[in-house]
Amino acid sequence: MELMTATEFRSTVRIPAMIRRKSLRRRDGRTTLAVGLFLLPAVALVGVLLIAPFLDTIYRSFYNDNGFTRSWVGLHNYRTLVADPAFGRSVLNTLMWVVGTLALPVLLGLLLAVGTYSLRWGSIARFSLILPYALSGSATAVVWTFVLRSDGALNDIIHTLAPGVTPPGWLTEWPLNTVMMILASTWQGTGAAVILFMVGLQAIPPETIEAAQLDGALGRKLLWYVTLPQLRPITVVVVGISIVNSLKTFDMIWLLTQGGPGTESETLALTMYRETFTLSRYGAGAAVAVFLTVVVVAASWIYLRRQLRTR
Amino acid sequence: MAVTATIPRRTVLAGAAIAGLTGCARGTETRAAPPGVVTLNNDNATWAPGYAAASIPLHRQTGYRLSPRAVPNVSAYQQIVRMSAQTDSTTDLIKWWNGYRLQDIARAGILADLTEAWDEAQRAGRVDPTLRASFSYNGKPYAMPLYKSYYAVFYSKKAFAKHGVTPPRTWAEFIKAATTFSKAGVVPIAAAGASDWESIIWFAQVLIGTDPGFYQRLTAGKARYTDPTAIQAMSLWAHMYSAKLFSAPDYDATGTPAHFKDGSVAMTLGGTWNTNAYTTAGLTDSDYGIFLLPQMRLSAPFAVVVESGALAVPINAHKRKAALSVAGAWLTDDVQRAWTGFLKDTSANPAVVPNVSAIRDLHVQVADRQPREMTRYWEASPPALVEGNVNELSAFMVNPHPENVRPTLNRMQERADTEWKTWNS
Repeated sequence: MELMTATEFRSTVRIPAMIRRKSLRRRDGRTTLAVGLFLLPAVALVGVLLIAPFLDTIYRSFYNDNGFTRSWVGLHNYRTLVADPAFGRSVLNTLMWVVGTLALPVLLGLLLAVGTYSLRWGSIARFSLILPYALSGSATAVVWTFVLRSDGALNDIIHTLAPGVTPPGWLTEWPLNTVMMILASTWQGTGAAVILFMVGLQAIPPETIEAAQLDGALGRKLLWYVTLPQLRPITVVVVGISIVNSLKTFDMIWLLTQGGPGTESETLALTMYRETFTLSRYGAGAAVAVFLTVVVVAASWIYLRRQLRTR
Repeated sequence: MAVTATIPRRTVLAGAAIAGLTGCARGTETRAAPPGVVTLNNDNATWAPGYAAASIPLHRQTGYRLSPRAVPNVSAYQQIVRMSAQTDSTTDLIKWWNGYRLQDIARAGILADLTEAWDEAQRAGRVDPTLRASFSYNGKPYAMPLYKSYYAVFYSKKAFAKHGVTPPRTWAEFIKAATTFSKAGVVPIAAAGASDWESIIWFAQVLIGTDPGFYQRLTAGKARYTDPTAIQAMSLWAHMYSAKLFSAPDYDATGTPAHFKDGSVAMTLGGTWNTNAYTTAGLTDSDYGIFLLPQMRLSAPFAVVVESGALAVPINAHKRKAALSVAGAWLTDDVQRAWTGFLKDTSANPAVVPNVSAIRDLHVQVADRQPREMTRYWEASPPALVEGNVNELSAFMVNPHPENVRPTLNRMQERADTEWKTWNS
């Protein structure tokens, strides 16, 4: 038996308008319920694992809490944080990481992807650049510790090539230690940016490139006016990921300097860890966590809202 | 055609749920350990063979063996104990630290009183009674000494022999020896601490070498970091850096056995628990020796820094009675012989000395010179004060100029003012 489609049925049989509206409302209600049921597990997971802990963290940040006793202190934890010079340094280091991560891995990733895309041996160059990305952050940090320590490989090379020269403390002098850690992180993280930009390049229709070339656009002009505008969507993603990653950088710093000497190379993530797990000041740690979350969410929201605005 | 057996989705989900719940039940300590076993939580995963060795005499004496669990990350371990000891998910015994770190959790009421075990150990002469104070809060002891380490100078016998140096008996001899090594291109004193707790080692040493009584008053909050004695001690430390007697502050201490073996590092100041690592790395009695560091100020009474781990019983332990009997038996000769046989370190029981040449030598030196035993800085003041000052000292080690002495001590005193107020509130 051949079945009618809904449209055919409606055109054949004239259903009174009231009945039709009721039936549509009923179907809408059922659809909403189905959608709600499908969404429920995801919403519940996000609610239980993200929203509820975050609300609890905000609540805790108003308390003086050592794990055994807890007393309401209002905004005291926030005031203490702001007054602490170490917190100011931590914010400054975090900013350095954001700027460094945007300036180096993203830019290098873009240049390397574009520069090697159509080269004959480009895949080999890309492979060697992407390889460090396969290493874990901890392994990378351990390798760089061997390189950057005072008795490490870099100083050995300097002593061999230029005897008598006193090299700087790569990991012990601020801001050099933060710069060196950003470079180490770049060495590892550039591969991810290269991969994403390669995906973006492959998505560019070849006709647009050919047309531009026929019109005489070559080299820098082709890159600037044709390729880069078409890479915009993927650039938004790469920059967005980099901002969030740099704001929550932890493993590289923890393994290379533990935030030291003193607290000189700490970022907000390390300050949060120190307050919470080293000093057992859960309220103060929660205050840093709230501050960090606000910064990450605000930065991501402002950036993505600006970049993903419907044109 | 290949035939595939299909498993209904519901069955898979139900199986996963059951497996998950079973896993959770096994991973917690919400149930008591099996008969004849008490559980012990600690932060050192490599000590399991030592606990197994100690379990043999413990079982003979108390009917219980130790079943250790380890959380190797110290910060994570502390949080787990602080949280779990308030619930019924705690282990029967926990490893902790003595001094103010013990007081920090004892005053929260989560530990059982060990007065009986201490009284018995003291009656039997199994422990030095002067240690009791650093295991007590409000006059009651809340832990037994798990181990006892002295902070002494380990030296490379190869480096000493090659440069004609003998273990020094005075501070002048020590500086002369270190200078000899410095001139010969050998690292005189390896000292780590640029980014960790080891920065307290030399800080405490210059203080007790100058005035042990001042060190005790300072760590008890009764003297100031800005007092002339502290300035003098720190200046001496800075002067030693100026004379190039120390390694770089980001020295990797795990490389010391290899450096001792080839004679590229001459000395390092550290806890006697290092002997375990040195022995494991293959060093023998002919590779390294040990001596107590002479006092810097001749008139200062002879003193040595002592570190003691603590064995405590949470008040919520499932087998509290059994755990108390194990804690009571911990310092007996048999148990300590088995334990130090593994640890290769000195014991809190003065009658037990492990069969390690360096430790036996040290034991003789301690018996001979009778030094005043000072609690390590890590445990000697409120934890938040120490943790903050560790950072200051690490920064000082990186920039150990004489003009940096006063600013560092000023910041340490500012922190002391705040943290003592918090501690006493």
